[in-house]
Amino acid sequence: MRGALTQLQVVHALLLRETKTRFGVNRLGYLWALFEPACLVTMFAAFYSSYGHVASAGTNVVAFISAGILPFSLFRDTAGKCMSGIAANAGLLFYPQVRPLDLVIARAALEFVTCVVVMALVFGGVMLWTGDTNVVSVIETVGGVTLAAALGASFGLLCCGLSVYSNNIEVIIPTLLRPLMWFSAVFHSVDTLPSGYRNIMLYNPLVHAIEMVRDGWFPGYNARHIDPWYPLQWILVMSFMGLTLERAARRRLEHG
Amino acid sequence: MIELSGINKIYPTTSGHKVVLDDISFSFPAQTNVGILGRNGSGKSTLLRILAGTEEPDSGTIVRRGTVSWPIGFGGGFNGSLSGEENCRFVARIYGQDVDEVVGFTAEFAELGEYFYMPVKTYSSGMRARLAFGLSMAVEFDAYLVDEVTAVGDSTFQDRCRQAFLDRSERSSVIIVSHSIHTVKSYCERCAVLRNGKLFYFNSVDEAERFYEAA
Repeated sequence: MRGALTQLQVVHALLLRETKTRFGVNRLGYLWALFEPACLVTMFAAFYSSYGHVASAGTNVVAFISAGILPFSLFRDTAGKCMSGIAANAGLLFYPQVRPLDLVIARAALEFVTCVVVMALVFGGVMLWTGDTNVVSVIETVGGVTLAAALGASFGLLCCGLSVYSNNIEVIIPTLLRPLMWFSAVFHSVDTLPSGYRNIMLYNPLVHAIEMVRDGWFPGYNARHIDPWYPLQWILVMSFMGLTLERAARRRLEHG
Repeated sequence: MIELSGINKIYPTTSGHKVVLDDISFSFPAQTNVGILGRNGSGKSTLLRILAGTEEPDSGTIVRRGTVSWPIGFGGGFNGSLSGEENCRFVARIYGQDVDEVVGFTAEFAELGEYFYMPVKTYSSGMRARLAFGLSMAVEFDAYLVDEVTAVGDSTFQDRCRQAFLDRSERSSVIIVSHSIHTVKSYCERCAVLRNGKLFYFNSVDEAERFYEAA
């Protein structure tokens, strides 16, 4: 029907457009994108250090918390942005060039780039502050971050497909996602948990992504229970389901 | 040239299914301006969206040779918080056009002055329509699909639109859907009437008018 070149043009145009609407004309949005996660990290780190958090042997609390919160935010924000991507830009489907999937791809890409920049700044800041710039495996950390983003995008795509059939999805999902933070190894390493509880937590694909980030970053941190293939399976299954739903829903979307 | 074969479209309504397009097969001749007349709610806008590819038919196939515009007319597809200029940039990009050329042409054609650089949500409906029309003229298509030009702007602007189509009649054609015989007469040499989901084609606009008025 249409070439890959057209799709590339469309996604590129959408990206530029999204950047403008997201960060605003005066570019204060860029500052906010950094300010919000930095506040979250400071808040939780202050809370946990006063409470006597035992992260893991020799790991700084601030570093530990930021390595949990930021990938989690990346997942949650990407999912949220993708979920509302079609509804927020339904007017653009007016142009035959633009397909619903393009809207999701553009949003996921923008969110990924934004979060990676924020993460690099925060992680860099933490390293400077602690004076410990050792990283065991950049590839593993980046892999964990990418998995978290891909989990978010595929989950968002799936929700997008579902939301065409029920308006409640966009209300239900964020509510369900809120407690997820407490079950994603954001504040505690899964290795420090009792084995019964840990085995349940390991069903959560996000745990694997977040623990990968730490395992790649902190020397002496040894995540024994993680498996990168497990979140990958989730990503493939959710993407497949999301794309199938999107295809089936295309007619309904374009009607509106 | 656009060729439709066996196009069906049904919309579910509260009182059951409404057949909007009923097994329509028709080949739009190349470089010929064709008008499609229909009463309000006869399905002419749906037909135009299907021709453009904005909407899929329930069944049937469409073959498009050459480039086909989006459905032009109401100024849909604009983001209200972005300026007219920024909206033009977006459309130029998705159609792989030279961005500055498209922006320059539209600014001149739409004559929005300072408003061109202000958010589209501050526009009146007439200004939106002018922007939409100018923008579509800035991109070269083999076939322009137009929905109710009668709604666009004052008579000076209408004349300019007509002139723009005339200027490019060498290589482009226009397909206009309208409820007004007057509109169709001023643009088209051929005409079809959409009635009860069927398309009736006439070689002259006058014949079509007699058929259209008789119903």
